Amino acid sequence: MTQPQKTRSRIKIYFDILSSVEEEGNAKLTRVLYKANLSYDRLVKYLDELIARGLLQEIHAEENRYYVITDMGKEFIREVKKAESFLSGFGLSL
Amino acid sequence: MLLEIDWYICTSILGDRMGIMIIVAELTKLNTLSFLPLPMPDLLFVTTAILDILSGAVALLVSYTAFKYNRLIESDVLKFVSFGFMMLGIGLLLEGSLLSLLAFNVGRITEDLRLVYISSLLYLVLQVFAYSSFALGYSRGAYSRREGITTAVFALFLIARPVRQYYFLLGTYVNDITQLIVIVLLSFVVFQGFLMHGRTKSKFSLLVLAGFVLILIAHLVMLGSSIVMSGFIFVLANFVQFAGFLSLLLFLIRSGHIDTATEDKK
Repeated sequence: MTQPQKTRSRIKIYFDILSSVEEEGNAKLTRVLYKANLSYDRLVKYLDELIARGLLQEIHAEENRYYVITDMGKEFIREVKKAESFLSGFGLSL
Repeated sequence: MLLEIDWYICTSILGDRMGIMIIVAELTKLNTLSFLPLPMPDLLFVTTAILDILSGAVALLVSYTAFKYNRLIESDVLKFVSFGFMMLGIGLLLEGSLLSLLAFNVGRITEDLRLVYISSLLYLVLQVFAYSSFALGYSRGAYSRREGITTAVFALFLIARPVRQYYFLLGTYVNDITQLIVIVLLSFVVFQGFLMHGRTKSKFSLLVLAGFVLILIAHLVMLGSSIVMSGFIFVLANFVQFAGFLSLLLFLIRSGHIDTATEDKK
């Protein structure tokens, strides 16, 4: 039985962005753009949302912008990983 | 002859399930004249009560976890899973509590047969609700949402409509009929679970599938125990059901470990 390709949920997009930032440490916008597989406009929109929710922090250093994951963001990743495991038990995904 | 009379009274009032428990309790004590109230806590009642209460606790834990993640993810399937396990958990705790009260004859409960019958019937109905919820949830997960829910609800409606007025008048056969309904629903859940496991190939889905398979086997054995009127087989079925809930508990424990989560996915 095949399932049609699902669009990524908002949580999954948050998770992908936060994971890529966590992996990079101080992540540049271009790296996040590449890893999260999003268009520039959508990425900026989601980054603003994540910053507003306190999951990400924006750092301005000289002429560059960096993104750093907060403790709340790390906790979010842990919870989503647990949720993913739980969902997979019932054949579901994010 | 006395045994046959006792069996008839037990099954008429309490349903086959309780009847089996009481008749076996009587056989072990070789006292058929005063089968109610039971003077001493009976091992069969206590064993089944403990298994039911533990299984109920696991079911409520799964329900709570599904509810918690549903707040994060907002999945309709999780709502069905949470609701189903909540019903099952409440039912099992109700049954376990009832059996504990019967075992120790708290408040001379064995003299209030209507209460015992209604509690036992409530447990059976809760089970049907629980497994219907799983079946609906799984159909939404396995098929496209609209088709799955419509087909499942329509099928249940077709089955339920002509028989619902007779259901509560079945007396002795309420338990067996309920077991049959539960077996049909669980077979559906297991089949869907098998398809889903084939898709995800994760150890988590295997543990959940194993849980449901064991619970299905338990219900088949329970029905068998009612047919052959064997208390021993009935208790054995309860152990199999408990093994199913242990599998679900193992799934909960394993899915809570973040580091093993990615390793567990094949």
